[in-house]
Amino acid sequence: MYATEIHDYLKTFFKETNCEIVSDEGFQLTVQLTIDMDKRIMNRPFYWKYIEATNSEPNPARLTLITDRTQTQNQFMGEIIHYGSGRLNQIFKATKDLGSFVLMYEQVDNTKNQTTLTPYFCVNYKVSYYCDQTKETIHSLGINLINGVIEDNFHESICDMNLTNEMPEKAFCLQYIIKPSRALERLDLMIQNLITQDDHSWAEEAKNRFEKELEVLNYFYQDREEKPEIYEIEKKGLEERFNPRIKVEIINGGIFYLK
Amino acid sequence: MIIERSSNWREDFIERVNNDGPWDSWTLYKMSYEVEKMNLIPEFTGLQAPKFLTNLQLLPHQIEAAQTVIEKMNGKAILADEVGLGKTIEAGLIMKEYMIRGLVKKALILVPASLQNQWVTELNVRFFIPAISYRRNTPIEQYDVVVMSMDTAKKSPHREKIYEQDYDMIIIDEAHKLKNHKTQIYEFVQSIKKKFCLLLTATPIQNDVFEIFYLVSLLKPGHLGNYETFQESFAATKRSIEGEKYLKELVNQVMVRNRRSDTGIEWTTRKVQTIPIQFTNEEREVYDMLCELKSVSSVFASSFTMVTLLKEMCSSKEATFLTLNKMLQKINAKEEIDYIEQIIEKLMKLEINAKAEKVLEIIEKANDKVIIFTEYRATQSYLQWYLHTKGISSVLFNGKYSKNKRDWMKQLFREQAQVLIATESGGEGINLQFCHHVINYDLPWNPMKLEQRIGRVHRLGQEEDVHIYNLAIENTIEQKILDLLNDKIDVFEKVVGDLDDILEKKA
Repeated sequence: MYATEIHDYLKTFFKETNCEIVSDEGFQLTVQLTIDMDKRIMNRPFYWKYIEATNSEPNPARLTLITDRTQTQNQFMGEIIHYGSGRLNQIFKATKDLGSFVLMYEQVDNTKNQTTLTPYFCVNYKVSYYCDQTKETIHSLGINLINGVIEDNFHESICDMNLTNEMPEKAFCLQYIIKPSRALERLDLMIQNLITQDDHSWAEEAKNRFEKELEVLNYFYQDREEKPEIYEIEKKGLEERFNPRIKVEIINGGIFYLK
Repeated sequence: MIIERSSNWREDFIERVNNDGPWDSWTLYKMSYEVEKMNLIPEFTGLQAPKFLTNLQLLPHQIEAAQTVIEKMNGKAILADEVGLGKTIEAGLIMKEYMIRGLVKKALILVPASLQNQWVTELNVRFFIPAISYRRNTPIEQYDVVVMSMDTAKKSPHREKIYEQDYDMIIIDEAHKLKNHKTQIYEFVQSIKKKFCLLLTATPIQNDVFEIFYLVSLLKPGHLGNYETFQESFAATKRSIEGEKYLKELVNQVMVRNRRSDTGIEWTTRKVQTIPIQFTNEEREVYDMLCELKSVSSVFASSFTMVTLLKEMCSSKEATFLTLNKMLQKINAKEEIDYIEQIIEKLMKLEINAKAEKVLEIIEKANDKVIIFTEYRATQSYLQWYLHTKGISSVLFNGKYSKNKRDWMKQLFREQAQVLIATESGGEGINLQFCHHVINYDLPWNPMKLEQRIGRVHRLGQEEDVHIYNLAIENTIEQKILDLLNDKIDVFEKVVGDLDDILEKKA
């Protein structure tokens, strides 16, 4: 992420979360945080506990974020922010928390006759494979709530559409046949199928690495009738390191009424 | 395989459907997806960490080392780069990578006390890893990344507190401190669970082949067999070994070692010379009398005491006097006391220290900043006094100095004094690239100590050739030390790999 990308990201983020942008020099940004945003990204729970317990006047922080330190005269005037910095990670997390569930409608031309919109339900999944190494994939699955057809890469297909969060006047929204809770189960099942069909040689290889290392360990203690405690500790460490695991997380998801 | 499903997204979502909201911003929704996509780990291999580490100029050999450890060594390795190539950076990079990949959350870093703060700063500033420095009563269960001094960690109650934690990664700096399997620290490290583990040392062998056996056995028990099979297969004695090619190959499966010459960075040359010195007749007389001591009194029967005394005599009369005087208190027989007092008398009369004169000559000829390493505090003071009488300013340095005092001395040396006189323990953790001359006034038994000393000066950032002067007095114990150093270097090179020059090349 380049300096200008970060700058744009922050600007959009704060605008979208109703934090007033006090000044914007293109390489640094001063924002007045709202109380909610202060709690999310400033790491000061004790302050807020205190303010709330004593009923004091809350004073959310005003932040100056330097996005391009090569252009700044005085680094001490603000906080340098860059890809990888803790503050940016907190802002990413806040983005995730505040962008989890949506209900959107495709924009309909008001001058034309009534347009019918079909309901879809989309979940963006992140699938992680872990052993002593890691690999992640994103699956964006969308299901048509009328006929139950599921498609992958759903997010990519809708992200550039003209969507609005209010139902357009001239739109007629079909009532879904498949209930969202049921649809979620179907998508969960689908993601499980996708995982099952995937190539899992990585897990086999991790198991082989584990066995090879266990063999070495056993050799070290082969003459011992009773294995000492450190053998068990060492073995547990090996198991934890190579144990293949799969984790499914949901990034976000929502209901979309599309033409 | 079991699939873990995390997040209570599902319940939250159903609730929002039932209550018809509240719904989130489409812009934030899209941004969130983009962030996930950007941070995705698309392959099992390769490094993700460098793109996050914008405060750090990583060198190619450091990236390669991290990749080797993660992809080929499965996260357990000895990092044995030569001094000054950035082992700390490599370790930080590996740890960061595992953290990004969600494989390491809790990590424990064991270091010598003098490096504790440096590690905490490096991890926080360069790697954005929120590490804390362990102090007495730090509630370690509340912190994910803890930097602790080895001496503290091995003792109660800290040791027990560590056992209660479940660390994903253990990093040990200056791991050659674990060469002896009978020590408390060795047993301690042996009994903590090591899921991912890095041992950092520029000197995996210091004195004998068994050190590498114990070090590797700590990391991966069985990799070099058990003690008996190791000894048998390699016909290992302390300083000789057979089948060294195989051993080297085995060792290299768990060890990354970059040499200065393979880094692609232009390194200045090391010019190492052995400077032979003749005792004055008077000094020789005292030395010979000291040699006789073992037949004069049983107190001197221990070869350790004798060796100490002889080494000290090669250093300064001040150092010799302190030990001799201490020994005197333990003796009762009159003729023995007489003999020692006679030595002391002759010792006190000595006016010339041949070695110190040679030092003066080297300093004058160098006409530049010089570091002198000695093993004895008494010699250290004496040299400062002696140089002062010759109009040469110097500052002292030793490992017991606090961080502030170290920095102050370093600054004084850089800006005012011509000479820095350091004792052995002052060797670790200071970088003095602005100096190009190192005098090893006394020789340690361990070649790696010499390497550590030279490494203070000959490291990244050194712009000029570095001159090393190893002083040895002819026909004394120092000559034997030189031979032994050569043998040890030989073993190291056979098992670990080549070394930069420490001693003058044998003709």
